[in-house]
Amino acid sequence: MAGTLLDIAMMHSDALITRAREGDKNAQGKLVQLWYKRIYNFSYKFFFDHDLAMEVSQKTFISMHRNLEGLHEVTRFRSWLYTIAVNYCREELRKRKANRSVSLHDLRPGESEESFAWEASSGRGENPERQLRQSELSDLLHQCLMELSDEQREVVIMKEYEGLKFREIAEALQISENTVKSRMYYGLDGLKKILERKNITKETIGYEL
Amino acid sequence: MNYKPDESTLISYLYGELDAKETAKLQEYFLQHPEELGKLQQLTEVRNALKATEDQEVIAPPIFMDGPSQASRFWQSGYVKTILSIAASFLLLLVAARLMGPEISYSKGELRISFKEATPIEQPAVQYDPKPALTSHEVQDMINTSLIKNNELIATEWEINNKKMQTSLQNNLASNSAKIDELMKVASQASQDQVRTFVAGLQQDNLQLMKDYMALSTKDQQVYVENLLVDFSKYLQEQRKQDLMLFQTRMSSIEKNTDQFKLETEQILASIIANPGNTFKKVNNY
Repeated sequence: MAGTLLDIAMMHSDALITRAREGDKNAQGKLVQLWYKRIYNFSYKFFFDHDLAMEVSQKTFISMHRNLEGLHEVTRFRSWLYTIAVNYCREELRKRKANRSVSLHDLRPGESEESFAWEASSGRGENPERQLRQSELSDLLHQCLMELSDEQREVVIMKEYEGLKFREIAEALQISENTVKSRMYYGLDGLKKILERKNITKETIGYEL
Repeated sequence: MNYKPDESTLISYLYGELDAKETAKLQEYFLQHPEELGKLQQLTEVRNALKATEDQEVIAPPIFMDGPSQASRFWQSGYVKTILSIAASFLLLLVAARLMGPEISYSKGELRISFKEATPIEQPAVQYDPKPALTSHEVQDMINTSLIKNNELIATEWEINNKKMQTSLQNNLASNSAKIDELMKVASQASQDQVRTFVAGLQQDNLQLMKDYMALSTKDQQVYVENLLVDFSKYLQEQRKQDLMLFQTRMSSIEKNTDQFKLETEQILASIIANPGNTFKKVNNY
């Protein structure tokens, strides 16, 4: 994940967090700008739903603003922020399970003109065919992720996409590191089986890309 | 070598987080169990596949997190707003009043608020004459005279009404008694005829009833006697049958007894004939 200026800024945002914790509104605003994309993408991969991801992200940052004063160690900001996000994700999941409703967006995400995929089509100068294939493959992988259990999915996303250390994931989920690694192993193993079942191989991915 | 790495160790190795000693141990294990290494490589391929998913671009929406400070919260509270609005209204009223030139005065228990100059209210002057027009004696005489006149008038009216009422009562009484006499006459005549008719009807009904009863009772008696005779004859027949059956049964039992007696006698005789000595002894033994 590291590499972009944004990532570098995130890695060295201790001073910013300290200022934000002391009530600096400007610093709090910058923190939101820095971390919004990460929290959104975590939630998006967790739900594969733009609206839910937006809702979770906004709730996470509102909660961050309200509770930042209670954060004792600045170095634990990342795991602390993901703890909030995970809790909101679980809350939304419970609500969704209670409602048992399926939106049209859930059925065919990316097809609606109002969908996020349409709005967020980055790199307009790129080859449209390649973009389409990339988008299809991305959706396919999201669907594979959605077949994992919630516990395995959150660990896989945190590790593979958010680049958190096992210690940070354990802190965020408030479980032991061994449990995190065990969930990771079974999550990857489960994904392997799902990919095999869907005939997604190394060659397929190479062709698609 | 019984070493078998758990999932936690395998994952740590996969992500390069295993220390040198453990790594060496695991690599040795993989040399002996290449299939386990193959499994781990497959997991690496899964990881590579996951990388094909790109991040979604998103613009952070403006989140207004400038929470209200304590001071602004105080000024925005409902109570303060209400008090301030009342104070503002009062102030406005005062300013308006000041501009219009108010006159506020209090005299003889009367509060007067007026704008511009106050104009005195003109009240009608009450003339007080200390000399009395009538004495108490004269007033008493006037009352007495009035009462006497009133009493006389009432007595006259009462007498007239009494006479009228008596006359009316006498007239009514006379007319009513005449009417009652007439009615009584009509009623007595009508009742005599009705009684005669009623008694005659009653006699006829009774006669018919008696006739019907007699006829009905004769028929019933006949039927009853007939039934009685039939029942008696049936009883006699039944009794006869039973007697015959009893007689037959007794006869047959006598016959059976006789046969049995014969048989026993024959048996005794046969045994005597067969064993004359023994039988005699036995007979003596008894």
